Parts: sequence; structure tokens; C-alpha cells
Amino acid sequence: MTVIDLSKQPNADSDLRLFLDTVCETHELDFAAYAGVNPIAQTVHGFVNYPDEWQKLYVEQGFQHRDPTLLTAARSIAPVDWVRLRQEDSFRTLFRAAHDFGIAEQGLTIPVRGPYGDIGLFSVTRNCSDKEWGLLKKKILGEMQHLAVHLHDNVVRSHALTRALTSPSLSARETEILQWVAAGKTQQDVADILNISNRTVEVHLRSSRSKLGALTTSQAVGRAIGLGLIHPN
Amino acid sequence: MIIVVDGLNRDRYGRLLDEMFALRARVFGKRLGWEVDIKDGKEIDQFDALDPAYVIGVNDNGKVVSCVRALQTTGPHMLSDVFSAILDGDQPLRSPTIWESTRFCVDTEALDRGKTRNSVSYATCELMAASLEYAQESGISDIVTVIDPIMDRVLKRSDCAPYGYVGKTTPMGKVPAMAALLDCSDERIEKIRNFAGIEGNVFMDEDAAAALADPVAPEIDHSLFDAIMSAGPQPDAETRNMLEQYCHDQASAAQSRDELHAANRLAGVLFEAGMINRRKPKFFVC
Repeated sequence: MTVIDLSKQPNADSDLRLFLDTVCETHELDFAAYAGVNPIAQTVHGFVNYPDEWQKLYVEQGFQHRDPTLLTAARSIAPVDWVRLRQEDSFRTLFRAAHDFGIAEQGLTIPVRGPYGDIGLFSVTRNCSDKEWGLLKKKILGEMQHLAVHLHDNVVRSHALTRALTSPSLSARETEILQWVAAGKTQQDVADILNISNRTVEVHLRSSRSKLGALTTSQAVGRAIGLGLIHPN
Repeated sequence: MIIVVDGLNRDRYGRLLDEMFALRARVFGKRLGWEVDIKDGKEIDQFDALDPAYVIGVNDNGKVVSCVRALQTTGPHMLSDVFSAILDGDQPLRSPTIWESTRFCVDTEALDRGKTRNSVSYATCELMAASLEYAQESGISDIVTVIDPIMDRVLKRSDCAPYGYVGKTTPMGKVPAMAALLDCSDERIEKIRNFAGIEGNVFMDEDAAAALADPVAPEIDHSLFDAIMSAGPQPDAETRNMLEQYCHDQASAAQSRDELHAANRLAGVLFEAGMINRRKPKFFVC
């Protein structure tokens, strides 16, 4: 099971829900949620794969106005492990209610900051011991960061105005490296050709993937060709 | 010892932050002569308003002796906004697993030479190791850091040489500045720790942190986020009017055919997005 590439999807709500489901299946998680604010388009997005009854109660109780996994976590640049929020009253109220739906306190929220003041909050949870949670978190955290930004970027770009403002802008180095990769060179080949370290090449590729909304380097190459940013010989 | 102050706990550590801003004023304003804004002896810029994470070194007397600031590269940060000269007008890196580190400094007046725990060398290495460990703990694998050539030499001498650079070395006041790349790997952290003889956990425990907190802890202000979250899906009438007025002003102020086309294109995009009512008001003359 691989996580779906959202940039290829029409971005219907069902696809976003499917994205959350595959993230959970791939990474041994129970539930996932996304909430985002796009101040340019003045839109708010939210979707979750929590049980319907819990979603209903959540809205009825107005938890979105005091949920610390959203509101407090939004002020961090680092992923916020919910253990950090446990002493807040609002956290205890929320999770006392959530407990009846099999939703545990072990979870984390990844805050995403976009270039236009847009904020995305991607959160995941898993019912397990704190120790197990710690191990799982360490294993999946880097990947979760990438998925959170992929999801957020695609939601933000689903709005016509933001899409018009956010055409990918690669640096000269990123373009040069993608051009060599498109010509079939390996990462080490490119490092040797440009006389820079292998890891510098890797960092520029990672940045290119992020800017092009791609999950893999091949997708990034394909998209860069499609946008006329690089030209295969 | 090291403490991390971020948007979640900054309301509790006003005193530490004030000392940190004062240290930055002495280092970047006076010693390095960078063009920074200093008010009331504190150096604070627009990025400090974005809830960055600060990794702060504190001595045994509870005084701030070192600090560095971290921001995500997916959103606004210094290389994308104000240090663009270093990138020679080129685009900055953007990745969920790369952070930018800026304003790295240590208090050379409060610390001494030599290699003891109270030395410049130890405090520098402790802060470097701590910031890499904090980033690694957050799922970050690389850091792009804005430094001067002196700091670059310090990194190389401390067995922590950057594995690469982006952009070029650019004058930034009395000294030039550059953007270096560091991996947040166990290997690099180990090398720094070995170099300075740092053992055990460098981050202070909850009790030590509580002892440094301000006397009264005010509630975190959620009002702004709440206001945005409850703003609703589409612009209200007033915003629509302002956007339409803006499009009108852009079109009227156009000096050339290209500018007029650009203004009309913007109006078109806003209209397509359902954010203004009229695509081409009567005053738009093409």
C-alpha cells in the first residue's frame, strides 16, 4: 500500500479522505485529520477519518474552538506530541469525550506553514502505550512531515487564486540538478559533475520535489518537463 | 544547560527572551555591525513575530549565554525574504525536512576562553549539538544556516564542517554572511560532543525550566486563530469591495498595455475564484 499522490487527483473530498486512510494503513495509525486556513482565499478546510459519531459530537460541542491539538499546536514550528498538551484543561475535556470512541491520547500534530500565511495542521493518533507510541513516532516522523506538506500544498493549490500565485520556482542549482537526473545521471554522478557533495545534491532534489508537489524524484522530473522548467535532450 | 522556547511556551519565558534579544543586539548590532533594528537595547525582527523556535543556552546562574532561532523553510523565513542577496536573487530551498537556522550567537563577554563548561568553545558546541538534536527529534534531517566566515571557521575547527553551501558569500555589514548546510545526523552530533567533551542530556529538565519561568503565566491568546478559523468560506461584502477597488486602482494606475493586461488578469483570477462580483467593471478599458 502506497500513499496516493494528491496532485494527480481531482481533489474531491473523497480523495482527501482516501489519502488519510492510506496514511493510516501504511504507517500503523488509527486516525488522521487535516485542518487548514488559507488567508488569501479566505477559506477553511477540514477533513478527518474519525468515526462519524465522534465528528458529530465534536462539532456539536464546538470543540474546534478550543481543541489544543489544533489551536495550540498551530504556534509551533516542530511537530507537537500531544503529551505536551496533556496539562491543558481543554485537552482533558476533549479526550475524556474522545475516549468513548476509541480515540487515544497518543498522537501528534504537524503544523505546516506556507508562504502566504497559510497554515495547515495534520494530526495522527494511535491507541497504544506511551512507549510504543514513542517508537512509532521516531520511525514515521520524517515521512509524516513530507505527507503533511504534500497534503497542505494540494489543498491550498486547489483554490484558483493561490494556484495562480504559487507556480513552482526552482533555483538555478535545482534546475541544473534535475536536468542531469532527467539525462539519466545518478545522484553521485551529479555530485561529481558539479563538484559538490552527494548530500547537497540530495537536499536540492528534496527541495525540488517539495516545490513541484511531487512525492518522488521521477514525478518531479516529469512535472518539471511538463512545466517547461527543464528540457530533456 | 539548554532550553527550547517556542510558540507554546514563550509566554512563560519573557525574561529569557528579553535577555536573548539583548544578546543578539550586542552581537549582531555592535560586534558584527549587521544592519539590524535595535529598540530598547533589543534586536527583534519580523521573523520573531512568527513564533519561531529558539534554542537557548543558560549558565548556572540562569543567565542567557547563547541562542539560535529556527524557522520552517516551507513558509516565510530569512533566506526567502531578507537574505535573498546571499542567494543572488535565486530561489531558496523549500522542504518539510529542512529548517533554517539564524541569529546563532554566544556571549563572549560572559564566557571565558579555554575549554571549561563556562567557555565560549563549550557553549558554542553545546548550542550546536542541542539545536541539531532538537531538529532531529522533530523529524528534520538538514539545516540551512546563515553564518559569517568566523562562525564557518568555528564549525570547521569543532569537527562540524558544513557539507555544502548555497548561494554566495555576501557583505552584511562589517563582515560577510553565507548560507551553510548541516545534516542533523547522529554522526555529526557525536563529533561535536566529542570535540567539546559534552556528555549526557544537554536539555534542562522540567524543574530547572520551571525555575527560569516568569512569575505569572498568562493564558495563551487564541483569538487570532479563532477569528481566522471562524471567518467562513468566502470573503465578506467589505473584503469583496476592497478587492474590487484594488483591481480598479491597479487598472487605473496602469502605465502601459502590459500593466493593464496584468491588472485585468488578476481581476479575472479573483472573479474565477468567486472572490469579486464583477470580472470587468465598466472602467476597465483594454
